[in-house]
Amino acid sequence: MTAPVLTPAVSPAQSEPPQPPRSARPAGRRIRSLSPRLRVQRTILTVTIVLIVIVQVYPLVWLFLTSFRTASDFAGGNAFALPSEWTLDNYARAFATGNLWLNIVNSLIVTLGASVLIVVAGMMAAYALEVLGFRFSGLVKALFLLGIIVPVQIALVPLFIDYSQIGLLDTHMSMIIPLAAFALPMSIYLFSSFYEYIPREMYEAASIDGAGPYRIFGQITFPLSANTIITVVLVNSIFIWNDFIFANTFVLSDGLKTIPLGLQNYIGAMGNTDWTATFAAVCVTVTPLLLVFLVLNKAMINGLESGATKG
Amino acid sequence: MADTVTTAGVGAAEPRSPRRARPMSTSMLPRRSKLSVLVFLVPPLLLYGVAVLLPILQSLFLSVFRWDGITDMVFVGFDNYVKMLTRDDVFWTAFGNALGYLAICLVLQLGGALIVASLLTALPRARELVKTVYLLPAIISTVAIAILFQRIYSLEPVGLLNQILAWVGLENLQNAWLSDVNTVLAAVSIPEGWRFTGLYMLIIYAALIAVPKELEEAARLDGASWWQVFWRIRFPYIRPVWITTTIMATTFALRGFDIPYLLTNGGPGQASELLTTYMYKTAFVHTDYGYASAISVFIVVECLVAVGIIFLLLRRRDDS
Repeated sequence: MTAPVLTPAVSPAQSEPPQPPRSARPAGRRIRSLSPRLRVQRTILTVTIVLIVIVQVYPLVWLFLTSFRTASDFAGGNAFALPSEWTLDNYARAFATGNLWLNIVNSLIVTLGASVLIVVAGMMAAYALEVLGFRFSGLVKALFLLGIIVPVQIALVPLFIDYSQIGLLDTHMSMIIPLAAFALPMSIYLFSSFYEYIPREMYEAASIDGAGPYRIFGQITFPLSANTIITVVLVNSIFIWNDFIFANTFVLSDGLKTIPLGLQNYIGAMGNTDWTATFAAVCVTVTPLLLVFLVLNKAMINGLESGATKG
Repeated sequence: MADTVTTAGVGAAEPRSPRRARPMSTSMLPRRSKLSVLVFLVPPLLLYGVAVLLPILQSLFLSVFRWDGITDMVFVGFDNYVKMLTRDDVFWTAFGNALGYLAICLVLQLGGALIVASLLTALPRARELVKTVYLLPAIISTVAIAILFQRIYSLEPVGLLNQILAWVGLENLQNAWLSDVNTVLAAVSIPEGWRFTGLYMLIIYAALIAVPKELEEAARLDGASWWQVFWRIRFPYIRPVWITTTIMATTFALRGFDIPYLLTNGGPGQASELLTTYMYKTAFVHTDYGYASAISVFIVVECLVAVGIIFLLLRRRDDS
């Protein structure tokens, strides 16, 4: 795939060197004489990108198409064709078989809980590190940075043991705590790099008015953090909403299962027989995040970009 | 006020705005109490300590014991590590598979992302649309992806992949990709690569459009080829971002777990067993907590070493 992809990008540059002699001509003619070649290059480029995008997204299109197929159409039909008849039965069966609503509620609780923790703890730590400052803040920062690299698997066995000793196994908190803790370093980093740019003069003015560190946090730092809060919540929600490993390790009872576990249950419960209903269930669980993403994609994309380039 | 220069720790390594000409104090506030620092610092540190730092120490501790969670713990010294490194074939198979998984993910995620991002910078319109659509797989849960790819790879009924092969006249290549020992590792790696390539594309694209146009133009006027422009101007410019994305992609791939676990659970045999899935099984199927902890310590070390190697490689090239 890579070979044809490269060519259009190569050609525009290679066509540049012979240009200078032509630049003596009037500008209008130069543009006209170049345009057919440019147009061909642009067309090749556009076609290439369209092809790549189709390959990238077709699995998702297929997912939605299949959820409207009849079971026999799925078993015997052409995987690329549109459904021969559109049906909503799959969705009815999906809701009848599983606990989709319960799963969605559990996912909401976990996502909400962990997001609040990440934001509050992230802001507090960044305020202490960046605004208040103290002697060993560099060391503490390094300690937090470690968490960006450390894989979550290291925490599974110890937390499982700890939870079972204090009776926290099989609760919402058992998922919320590690999800928040492992997302905390990035959150602190984002808040810190923002707090760095709040002018010191603002704090000084507030101090002269007699405000202490708590009031300054509540009246200056926190209100100014709104945009960063949105970024942190958006980026982390994706990972928390989709978390599988913590949920799979710490949750046992059906009543607490989040969406990923609920979906996994589907395959178990239905065996290999009812794929179209499983696809319908997948679509139901994917759609909320998909809608949020499409509505907020600008903010989310900015968040992901800044999260990575700063981290 | 006595502690002036101490902020020059980790974060201060990067260039700061020269805004603060006055001598740097650790605090932005003229007055603050020690207590207020503790009030703000202790709760987040507690959360982080309980769920990240303490488990690391516990894993180190557990890794020198043999323990099934029920009977008494038996101190075995470094026996778990010795067993892991010298006597356990499955461990080495899983390690090799993890490296293969890493390689496929890196090629798809970073290579693919760099190519698509470069193409995108030349696209006249609809860039935002492409970015959005390209990122879609990243927001889908791994369980949904596993279900999806199980059907894409399937032979009966014919899944997408085998259908395409039939269309281009390669029926004899049709395969049950997830049950074939030779293809299963690639088959479980590709969904992971596919899932996040959009994320890295986005990051690299943002870096590429920040490269000053004048530099590229000047180089082209001097007769630089496309490759020279890319390698001498664009790439050095995005190097810091490239290092970040390489570290992200590498550590994410080394901790990759969900998709292999869900698609094949390491099978058939150990053909798609990764260190992470092996560790998970050791802990929660065989309840061998000590040995599982030793493996998870190894995974952490592996990630730290990988990050070190990336820094060394990419830094050194910078000097030459």
